[in-house]
Amino acid sequence: MTQNMSINVHHLTRVEGHGNIVVDVKNGKIEKMQWQVPEAPRFFEAMVRGRHYSEVARVTSRICGICSIGHTLASVKATENALGIRISPQTFKLRTLIKHAENFDSHVLHIYFLVAPDLFNVPSVFPLVPTHTEVVVRALRMKRLGHEWGSLLGGRTTHPNRVVPGGFTEYPTEEELKTLRQRLVDLQPDLDATVQTVLSVADKLPSFERPTEYMALSSDKEYALYDGSIQTVMPDGTKQRWPVADYKSCTNEYVVPQSTAKYTKNKMASYMAGALARFNNNYDLLNPEAKKLAEALKFKPLCFNPYMNSVAQLVEVVHSVKDSVRLLDEVLGTGYKPEDLTKPTKFARGQGAVEVPRGILFHEYGYDKNGMCTGGNCIIPTNQNHANIQLDLEALVPKLLAARKDEKAIELGLEMLVRAYDPCISCSTHYLKVEFKR
Amino acid sequence: MRYIIGIGNYSMADDSIGLRIVEHIAQNGLNRGFESIDIADDGMRLLFYFKEETEKIVLIDAVDMELPPGEYRLFKPEDVESTKDVKRLTTHEGDILRVIEFARGFGYPVPPITILGIQPGNLEPKMELSPTLQQRFDAYLQVVLGEIGKDG
Repeated sequence: MTQNMSINVHHLTRVEGHGNIVVDVKNGKIEKMQWQVPEAPRFFEAMVRGRHYSEVARVTSRICGICSIGHTLASVKATENALGIRISPQTFKLRTLIKHAENFDSHVLHIYFLVAPDLFNVPSVFPLVPTHTEVVVRALRMKRLGHEWGSLLGGRTTHPNRVVPGGFTEYPTEEELKTLRQRLVDLQPDLDATVQTVLSVADKLPSFERPTEYMALSSDKEYALYDGSIQTVMPDGTKQRWPVADYKSCTNEYVVPQSTAKYTKNKMASYMAGALARFNNNYDLLNPEAKKLAEALKFKPLCFNPYMNSVAQLVEVVHSVKDSVRLLDEVLGTGYKPEDLTKPTKFARGQGAVEVPRGILFHEYGYDKNGMCTGGNCIIPTNQNHANIQLDLEALVPKLLAARKDEKAIELGLEMLVRAYDPCISCSTHYLKVEFKR
Repeated sequence: MRYIIGIGNYSMADDSIGLRIVEHIAQNGLNRGFESIDIADDGMRLLFYFKEETEKIVLIDAVDMELPPGEYRLFKPEDVESTKDVKRLTTHEGDILRVIEFARGFGYPVPPITILGIQPGNLEPKMELSPTLQQRFDAYLQVVLGEIGKDG
């Protein structure tokens, strides 16, 4: 075993925001192994206080620029719950469709642009442009579809403005929905090629397993993304459900010294949220085409390998496309038409949950008799995964050391593990740094 | 179509300047003859506005130009070189100049682009602009509204 090692990955690349991996090995003994998240609180919960219910989702969608559809939906659902609003079946289907759009868009980005470079042994997607041009062109084509799919339903993909408590403020035309359906059907060659690309590099995904608890929304009716109850599946396969209203007793937020983000746990010391958690909880309700893909990849529940989260995302990409065609057929076949917003029937406290690409997301708000927000709470999936990442790293490092991997290989293995979770940490910045040419 | 596009993270103080300007334009109905677009954290979304029918894009971003905080410059992508650490360049946490270069390499119809670069004063986690940028907000707005109307 390696006797001395010091790994300090400051601001891990290809994740959104800043996370550090710190490993110290002295005389063959692991003295420090930490996943650190130096994130500052953003006080969204305080920012919604005193705002009218119609404004709240617009504020909380700002929690994440990548998952702003999911934050809008969770926020609107919590508000509708608090206000006694029951949405129509058409609204439910259209919201499921926009949820599919976000998961598709984000998963394509993660698989092709953030994970693939590790599997092709390059530092980022850019070196793949000359060597794997067709793969990058395909990824961009699929990402464009995800963007336009979300924009069609939400008005815009980033911070959608049509999704409001009670329904939608504007609707796509029937013709636009038919065009979207056709584009999803025509995507089949790109889906097939994506599967082939992943198959060609799948053997490079590390074979590491650590049984844990997996939490996801779950429903008897469908592979839950937009709606359901909280469910966890334990390593022995036992499942338990809770109403979304009980989310605090399932997440049990706590603080740890190495991180400013709150951690969570349920029945075990940690749980995993995200595509693999959904796959492990809800496999039976996947679209048959998505199941067929999983079978071809010999990928079945319960899977305890966190690196397989990216493969679960691929399965969900296929599921989202196929299930959206089904939903569009239902919407278009049952007298599709714009509907009036459903009005509040009370003002109280309510919770909402959806599955965003990185896992289960909870919002909660209270409203006074005038519809003004009295307080809120949000628990995001990346924070729910921090404890599980820490425990994965603690289990993985001894295995890599025992396998006599060198420091560089260990560092890459740890980075890939964290990237598999697709963490989205709020402290990322996007500014330019330039010099003017003379 | 012409676009004013903002990129950044809303919760990282002055990194959000572009988002706040396009939000102000949309909320006050100032988007006459152009669309104001918020692409938030995902710089790759810029590619989807590189279309044959796009006449012009004005991008607003926080830019470290080693100027005093709040100072701004209007420039073309080809006027500058990115000095951001490329090891950390990703599609999530990226450099919009590399996205433009990427698009050109792929034959996207890149329209004329002007960047309003604003020197940030604070890039720490904060849900508001620094006082320096806040005080100059109207000046940035006038610059960008003037620029989008110009040819080329």
